[in-house]
Amino acid sequence: MRERYGVGDGSHIVWQDGYQAPYQAPDDVHGAKTVVLDGLEAAIRRVSDVDEWEKRFGDWRRWEAAAPGRTVVWIGTDVTQGIVPVDREERRWRDAVGLCYQRLAAMCSRVDRLWCGLAERLK
Amino acid sequence: MIVFVSGAVRSGKSEIAEACAIRLAPVGRIHYIAAAPADDEEMAGRIRRHQERRAATAARWVVWEVPFSSRGLTASLRADDVVLLDCLTTWWAAELFVGDDWKTMKTADEAARRLLDEVRAWAGRCRAVVVVSNELFSGGVPDDEGTFRYMKTLGWLHQQLVAAAGAAAVVECGLLRVKKGRWPQ
Repeated sequence: MRERYGVGDGSHIVWQDGYQAPYQAPDDVHGAKTVVLDGLEAAIRRVSDVDEWEKRFGDWRRWEAAAPGRTVVWIGTDVTQGIVPVDREERRWRDAVGLCYQRLAAMCSRVDRLWCGLAERLK
Repeated sequence: MIVFVSGAVRSGKSEIAEACAIRLAPVGRIHYIAAAPADDEEMAGRIRRHQERRAATAARWVVWEVPFSSRGLTASLRADDVVLLDCLTTWWAAELFVGDDWKTMKTADEAARRLLDEVRAWAGRCRAVVVVSNELFSGGVPDDEGTFRYMKTLGWLHQQLVAAAGAAAVVECGLLRVKKGRWPQ
């Protein structure tokens, strides 16, 4: 991640792991230049309102733009390519993940799809 | 050299990997690691079909059934030989879940590192190691700890193997999509 996005050079990285705990809001993160939000699909499982997520993506986008040299990196697993789940909640979550990824990708300046550590740039 | 080939269920990856191993071993032997346990009839049938496909070149095939001694395999390798591991996912499941290694992230990581070292040791002693694995990362991230750690370590193994590989590809609908290097012809 550090190599690929060139964000490791002496800058302070805050790594938020969505598998472990909900993300902190931009206002609660101090002194960071790079913020990584990992496990996005797990975070969406806790809060599956797509409009709410679009607002959060926008908040981070504004945080990034508020000072020079800031970068926000979102990492998510693509969970949308398996069999359509029988369970309604599982289906809703999967749909929310797909919609959130679309809206997030529309806001991002760079989007990569990773396969075994190799990046395929989509945007 | 390490050759990495992945693919979805029934994508045709085993056939492509076998053809690749045969090409890479014009004179040497092919050490086939059959990692799928024959637990039920369907699986037994699958294994039989694989065996029939290999029969044409039977003389040069050496079959290693899981559990096997990785050290024994390393010791028996010659410079012209090729190792065909089919597949990493079942072998790694057998290794991770045979004891308690899956119970913490640390021990799971250590076990994955050991497995990677073994594959590297084979590659250092023969012409090529062809690793077959599965695309199983698109069905969601599991909640239970054992499966979560299995998936995480498998993803890590994929990254390390592809980084070390001379060629890496994914098979989709029987079609080979080369992602890294030149596919052995």
